[in-house]
Amino acid sequence: MLLINRPLVQFGLALLTVLALPLFLRSGILASEVLIYALIAAACNLLLGYTGLLSFGQGIFFGLGSYVAGIFLTRYGVPVWMVLIMATLLGAAVATLVGWLSIRRQGVYFVMLTLAFSQLFYFLAYTFSDLTGGDNGLMDVPRPDLGAGPMNNAWSFYIFVAVSFLVLFALMLQATQSTFGRTLIAVRDNEERAAAIGFPVKAFKTAAFAISGAVTAYGGALKAMLIGVAPLANIEHHTSEMILIMTIIGGSTSLFASVIGAAAYMILADVLSQIWPRWLLLLGLALVCVALFLQKGLWGLIEKLWVMFFQKDQSLEKKEAEH
Amino acid sequence: MIGRRKLLLSTAGAGLFLASPGLLRHASAAGDVLKVGIPVPISGGNAANGKYASMGAIIAAEEATAKYGREVKTFDLDTEGKPATAVRKVQDAIQQEGIQLFAGGILSSESLAMGKEADKGGANFITTAGADEITGTECNAATFRWSVPTFGAINQSIRPIIDALPNAKRWYTITPQYVFGEGLLQATKDVLEEKGLELVGNSYHSLTEKEFSGYLTNAIATKPDVLLILNFGAQCADTLRQAVSFGLKERMTIVVAWASGLEQFEALGADLCEGIYFGAQYWHTIDSPANAELVKLTRAKYNENPNYSLAGSYICTKLMIDAAMKAGSTDQKAVQAALKGMTYAGLTGEEHVRPEDNQVIKNYYLLKARAKSAMANKDDFAEVISSGQSFLEVAKTGCKLS
Repeated sequence: MLLINRPLVQFGLALLTVLALPLFLRSGILASEVLIYALIAAACNLLLGYTGLLSFGQGIFFGLGSYVAGIFLTRYGVPVWMVLIMATLLGAAVATLVGWLSIRRQGVYFVMLTLAFSQLFYFLAYTFSDLTGGDNGLMDVPRPDLGAGPMNNAWSFYIFVAVSFLVLFALMLQATQSTFGRTLIAVRDNEERAAAIGFPVKAFKTAAFAISGAVTAYGGALKAMLIGVAPLANIEHHTSEMILIMTIIGGSTSLFASVIGAAAYMILADVLSQIWPRWLLLLGLALVCVALFLQKGLWGLIEKLWVMFFQKDQSLEKKEAEH
Repeated sequence: MIGRRKLLLSTAGAGLFLASPGLLRHASAAGDVLKVGIPVPISGGNAANGKYASMGAIIAAEEATAKYGREVKTFDLDTEGKPATAVRKVQDAIQQEGIQLFAGGILSSESLAMGKEADKGGANFITTAGADEITGTECNAATFRWSVPTFGAINQSIRPIIDALPNAKRWYTITPQYVFGEGLLQATKDVLEEKGLELVGNSYHSLTEKEFSGYLTNAIATKPDVLLILNFGAQCADTLRQAVSFGLKERMTIVVAWASGLEQFEALGADLCEGIYFGAQYWHTIDSPANAELVKLTRAKYNENPNYSLAGSYICTKLMIDAAMKAGSTDQKAVQAALKGMTYAGLTGEEHVRPEDNQVIKNYYLLKARAKSAMANKDDFAEVISSGQSFLEVAKTGCKLS
């Protein structure tokens, strides 16, 4: 394993990102969004990279998380910590249901099922507009108040997001390094063999879905608090696409790759949208380039550069060993 | 083994990559200028409206720079037509750029959210969005609106048609299911009920809908005399194209309650629009000194006539700038005090900012599209059939500004 893929280094890079963003980005909101989407993309990576499941359902959990925050913070005045727990649990529960049903089929049929669920939940949110605010969404979602008043300053909320990000990122890293994580990789690499050995493959896949859904819903709740709005757009299939694009652009070979993917997407979108109205074309082009030439994403490129500059000797040793 | 130097070098490299957007912005930061944020959809489905809105704001800024002798600069904030993005851009503009004046917002959902954000953030916001709530139940001291709300738009667009077509008894509506559409639909129901006419059916659609043939088939099945289209922008254009290709123009009268103006006619073409009625907030041939000036400035700068998006953004930006100049600062309360009750020579004649709900009182127009052969010039798509003012009394708007 390359040094940069080791769990401690991955966590160190996540910590470095948290510390670096305030130094280099003027907008605390953009910095917080980068971390929130990094968390969500990492959760998607748990499915895509570690379990081999291409899910178009991540927007469901993201939207649910933001609606839980919107509904319980604005209408019932439930404490923030409890709202975050509720969002996480609901995300896990719905992801378990979606995952359990979707993994009945494989390949393109699995993808179609997650897409169908995405549309189903979108229209549920759209139909029950009394609860969700319909196309207007839910407004006036407050930020947390940890005793010193609401975190109206974007950078104070950034600290809250950063702590959440680091804790959840560490937990996901731990999960990928555990027997559970290694089993997911075994399932991804050869599902029949994993089943033949005796692993309950469906249970593992469903568990991966549950973890991914829980983290994504938590991120959705954070996003609603950050922006103060829980819009219908959060539960649209476009959100699922965006999360997948971030994950794919970053690469699916390590969790920190998703942080790179989310940061690249968010920062480039912010810069490019000011320069050219058709900036999404460039994003499409980037995706085509990644699909054709960088199948391990930006992280794959970083790995190559790392080997080229820092671990050439290790790479040579590996080649010699192969001979 | 990695040396400390290599680690520091690679960290610095990564930092530079991440830093570049921030550094670029620092470098381009403006000095002592009056800044106006223009939060409009520059990308996404309503990008065309956003482009013209940006152009209109620039004209207003240039005009003000010449008039007041102080540099006025507009900052485009791409909302992508999404409330969450819009709010983030406004929050950033307030906190990072210190902008306190905002003119923009084309979709109601994004405008509602931005108005609340401006109120919280110590700024002021003026919009052309249509939802009644903006100066109604969700009004706030920092949010102003130039365009006529749904009540006035419906009253000024369908009452003249009811008078002109006494045999049009059966009406069918196609409505986007969000605040703006609901407001238009409710106002339509009220007018039809008052006039003893029948709403034979309504089709709701979402803001993401692009295919309207199913709704049009439903409309045909109910055999209405009038098809009233209550959606806006690209969706309205799609509905009209599909309605005309289904042959509805020959079977019934088609009315668009809230047209997006000249750009919509240009996109659809005269042949398609001929004979269709359009409700409009603005038309470039309006006979007023302020409009004549805007037409002159727009032709000089862009070599074209102003459309609704451009004109709406122009007047909103101009109002914000004039209020700030009158107040002598961009302070939230001072600008509000300057705007409230202001009467000025507007694009539609004399316009007035009603202080009780921050709603601008202005004319709304009903247009009828001409045949291509009757057009005097390339932009002479329609004639103004009628114009007038219809506004709910403040007590009925639900707005409670303290």
